[in-house]
Amino acid sequence: MNKWKKKQPATSKPFKRPTLAGDGYGGRAGFFLHRAVTNIRQNVFVNVVTIGTITLALLIVSLFLLVFVNLESAAENWSERVQVTVYFDKDLTTQDQAAFREKISALNGVSRVSYVTRDEAFKRFKSRLRGQATLLEGVRPEVLPTSFEIALKRSHRDTASVENFVSALKRIPGITEVQYGEEWVRRFNSFLNFMRLLGGLLGGFLVIAVIFIVSNTIKLTIYSRRDELEVMALVGATRFFIKAPFLLEGLMQGMAGSIISVILLFGLYEGFLHNAGSFLTFNPATSGLSFLPPEYIAGLLLAGALLGFIGSLTSLKRFINV
Amino acid sequence: MIQLHNVSLAYQQDASALNNINLRIGKGEFVFLTGPSGAGKTSLLRLLYGALTPSRGQVLIDGQNITRLSPSQIPLLRRSIGVVFQDFKLLQNRTVFENVAITLEVLGWGRADIGKKTMHILKQMGIESKYNLVTQRLSGGEQQRVALARALVNDPKILLADEPTGNLDDANKNQILSIFKEANIRGTTVIVATHDRRLIEQSHKRLVTLHKGEIVEQMEKEAASDEQTL
Repeated sequence: MNKWKKKQPATSKPFKRPTLAGDGYGGRAGFFLHRAVTNIRQNVFVNVVTIGTITLALLIVSLFLLVFVNLESAAENWSERVQVTVYFDKDLTTQDQAAFREKISALNGVSRVSYVTRDEAFKRFKSRLRGQATLLEGVRPEVLPTSFEIALKRSHRDTASVENFVSALKRIPGITEVQYGEEWVRRFNSFLNFMRLLGGLLGGFLVIAVIFIVSNTIKLTIYSRRDELEVMALVGATRFFIKAPFLLEGLMQGMAGSIISVILLFGLYEGFLHNAGSFLTFNPATSGLSFLPPEYIAGLLLAGALLGFIGSLTSLKRFINV
Repeated sequence: MIQLHNVSLAYQQDASALNNINLRIGKGEFVFLTGPSGAGKTSLLRLLYGALTPSRGQVLIDGQNITRLSPSQIPLLRRSIGVVFQDFKLLQNRTVFENVAITLEVLGWGRADIGKKTMHILKQMGIESKYNLVTQRLSGGEQQRVALARALVNDPKILLADEPTGNLDDANKNQILSIFKEANIRGTTVIVATHDRRLIEQSHKRLVTLHKGEIVEQMEKEAASDEQTL
């Protein structure tokens, strides 16, 4: 490749054949990395703008994710209240209890079955009427029904599944009275569906906007250096050779942007959001908003790196045509 | 070295930039391409370094038909061709050294060799003291010498120049011309597109005149010895 002809004038010392930096793509990795770092150093302003854009874009997405994840977990907690109760007029014998328990547990979607005796029911009744003990005068445990309380698995808490379950339950001989707060289940589930739809739509638009903004920013930064692409092509650089430093640069920008956005998110969370939940009585199960789970953080970092890389890749396509 | 057979080039279907060009340029020749603006000088040069492919005809460089090269082979062709332009096409925020070294980096040379060879060519161009300046701080003549250094640093077989002196004063024109001649003496085939009559008359070289995409006149080298004019 390197034809080195000794054509210097007689006054200059002839050179030896040059040593190569390294053959193949692997041997050039160091050169590309060096090139990318130098590019970042020489184009500080452009890089700050790009990294800033990626940071803000990912921060918006991650804030949205934070709220959405917390809403989801709140909804999970609320859905614990979806519970089906089977009432009996009489005390059940231990055998009957075991028989019913077995039949109920055999149904699809049951996660827990517990028997509530008259005494237990009376205790709960009393605790609910605490402070108004006069109302309980003359009430004895015998007037209250015994019951089975059935908790359902997460996947069986939607309206249709609950109704199916109840009709299956009613087919068990001996079970007549079933209660499950159908109105509440219906409303809760339609709220949940609405929230997911809204979240999906908002999140989708947000992601599209972010991709659009970031890819355009990268396109502009590459456009500002199109003469460099042209010169490289002119002196015989292969496409890969021209692209590699830009792609590495994009990857680094993306990673830097995503790391900064996660740090900022954590700062915002620690500063304002971690106790916002109790303020809003948002999530009854926990004291406040929880931070994003680690797999989401990893996802964000990966998304940032990909955003930088793919943004550069698609932008380069437009400018390398020399 | 360079052969064009019945080469035609049409940018759009109606307007043809080059029309049935036949041209042979031997190894080590020095050729001026001239003609009015829009005659096809630049298009012809662009064909030679693979930036354009002809609509008809064949272009052979060093025995290789470059109209049949795949896009991935074009870079390899360009490594044996140096190109300079009227607007220099230097990287403005890079130093003189970096602008020249890029040619050798592309070839995969090691750092030490790049340093030696780059400084050597800068010395030949008489700008070695400015190696660490960013190119936007140089004068036009100096910038063109950097561009020439970048084109010549890997001893190309062919040097193409598109109006290389268009932006320069007379003193600088003469310097640039003598660099072309030196390169030519060392074996590089040189093709200079220009409409600067003085430059052509001064150098007594083969002249190819284009008009409206066709070769209208060819003048062979005059008897005067080249070495005397250096």
